[in-house]
Amino acid sequence: MKKVLALFLVSILFLAACSSGSSKDTSGETKDSNEITVWAWDPNFNIKAMNLAKDAYKSDNPDLEIKIIENAQDDIIQKLNTSLSSGTTKGLPNIVLIEDYRAQSFLQAYPDMFHELTGTFNSDDFAQYKIAPTSVDGKNYGLPFDTGVSGLYVRTDYLEQAGYTVEDLQNMDWKKYIEIGKKVKEATGKHMLTQDPNDLGLIRMMIQSAGSWYLKDDGKTPNLAGNEALKVAFETYKEILDADLVKPISDWSQFLAGFNSGDVATVPTGNWITPSIKAEASQAGKWAVVAHPRLPGVPESVNASNLGGSSWYVLNVPGKEDAADFLAKTFGSNVEFYQTINKEIGAIGTFKPAADGEAYQAGDDFFGGQKIIADFAAWTEQIPQINYGLHTYAIEDILAVEAQNYIKGKDLDKALEDAQKQAEAQVK
Amino acid sequence: MLKRVFSYAFLTIAAIISFFPFLWMIISSTNKSVDVTKGRLLPGSYFLENLSNLLETVDLVPALMNSAKISITTTILSLLIASLAGYGFEIYQSKAKDMVFNFLLLSMMIPFAALMVPLFRMFGSISQTAPFIGIDTFAAVILPTVTTAFLIFFFRQSTKMFPKDILEAGRIDGLTEIGCFFRIYVPTMKTTYSAAAIITFMASWNSYLWPLVVLQSPENQTIPLLISVLGSSYSPDFGVIMTAIVIATLPAAFIFFIMQKQFVAGMMGSVK
Repeated sequence: MKKVLALFLVSILFLAACSSGSSKDTSGETKDSNEITVWAWDPNFNIKAMNLAKDAYKSDNPDLEIKIIENAQDDIIQKLNTSLSSGTTKGLPNIVLIEDYRAQSFLQAYPDMFHELTGTFNSDDFAQYKIAPTSVDGKNYGLPFDTGVSGLYVRTDYLEQAGYTVEDLQNMDWKKYIEIGKKVKEATGKHMLTQDPNDLGLIRMMIQSAGSWYLKDDGKTPNLAGNEALKVAFETYKEILDADLVKPISDWSQFLAGFNSGDVATVPTGNWITPSIKAEASQAGKWAVVAHPRLPGVPESVNASNLGGSSWYVLNVPGKEDAADFLAKTFGSNVEFYQTINKEIGAIGTFKPAADGEAYQAGDDFFGGQKIIADFAAWTEQIPQINYGLHTYAIEDILAVEAQNYIKGKDLDKALEDAQKQAEAQVK
Repeated sequence: MLKRVFSYAFLTIAAIISFFPFLWMIISSTNKSVDVTKGRLLPGSYFLENLSNLLETVDLVPALMNSAKISITTTILSLLIASLAGYGFEIYQSKAKDMVFNFLLLSMMIPFAALMVPLFRMFGSISQTAPFIGIDTFAAVILPTVTTAFLIFFFRQSTKMFPKDILEAGRIDGLTEIGCFFRIYVPTMKTTYSAAAIITFMASWNSYLWPLVVLQSPENQTIPLLISVLGSSYSPDFGVIMTAIVIATLPAAFIFFIMQKQFVAGMMGSVK
């Protein structure tokens, strides 16, 4: 008996030795007033922007220690959901980055856990379409960060071979896109775009350009059956597939490979893809960006849309005032700071006063000298404002299945009605 | 003859299918990210560059140490506890025994996702009184996994084949009950312990969801969490990720290879 007891004690000692070592490291995390933590993803974009903000803030407020922790986006969602739903704030950061599509589900499910930011920044200074997803009942909870403003990245050399110039593609609709696509395919043998059948980003961009979404304005009722924009978007999607313009892919790495290896002539997506496009240096000068195509026959549809984009949120834990002040003085009002992040990482914020700065007006040689930042900033202001609501991705899972059924020959109205029924049952 | 050809052909195909991902991982770790996404299947010359990029971007060695500490402690503790329990269930007679055991097996049916929030709450409240085993400590990762119904079940099944007469002989020669366990049972069941050690170590080494949720500071990150961070970028460097995965696989693979013989024997039953 003694022996076993001794063995147990040794094991427990070992356990304690392990844990005490780590708890010493983290004892600084007791959130004394001069340290705040931030969770974000992507080292080249969000993390870098945060680091620059830290530098900008430090010169005036040297006392605040800002600790930036990198986590994958899915991991952040998992951690937040577990912590918030168990009501445990221990270990939560002060500032967290959340994608706009998901923001409402967090804000509405855990209303007490987020710190209100109303009044710490002027919401009129930001692109209006970012305000709805970041606020609840007219109160601001999120500080808008990057725009997911989308554009159509095009290979000018392929277009030339098919007898087109960039001018032909300006402010066109998807009908024209398909027409051009067929010619390009004929002349070069290249597909127009890659598409992952489970990722309906393309549909999302199409419907937002018409000010429509999967959900009605209340953010809760599915808006699928009888949604004119969605219907036209699906018809267009099928036409693109039928015209054999799509190179099918199944994941992100193939998406990147599609344009890096020159397999596709265009990439309709958010501006955050710019660094990935520029990663293939051998294609310098062969790219241009034109305005996002609009939906044919839908009068509300404009030549501007959005894909992704995220905003900063302050959690209701000790240190929230410091965190809010930090955000307000950097991302919330600092024009100079926006020029810096633009120059350093190509990040385009949604802070309107920054658009006049010199960095926004600079040309990019990779894109043949085009002032892509200025173009994106101009399109940003035209993006229709919508409420992304609570269930964007839940509904997209349902729609992806029905989209396949539609492509295989199911009647479109029936497919959307079925999707509506499933969605209503699921999000009730 | 024909039957043999078929079975060899089938086994060859099965071997290729199961070995291919492993091979692809190793090949990819020697290629540039762009080549990985293009699906290049030839070994490249970028391994050292990937490795130096990896060491530059993340703290690989501390994460390896964290994983090692957690996995080794978990393995030692859970082997000790589960084998004692399995031994007890099989050797000692009690009316309530089977009921308790069934109850234990029932706990295997509950998916971890359902336990996660309550567990997190528990550790959240422990944090206030005893921060050294609360959230963001290794103890919080280890404790929920030291007793698994599966391991107890595994030890009980193996004990079924243990010749109980030896214990009688031991008792007659003056061994205490604990002595019987440590001096007779443990040495005889070496292969079972090896198999259990491999299973537990691998599960702990690769464990992702619970450490992700409970470990908050980057200093405490384990290897799977680190690899997940590497993939957080909008344009991840797949060559570097693959290199990290190769390194993460090595310790587990090493342990498996040195204990392989015992593992196979242990899975088939330790006493013949």
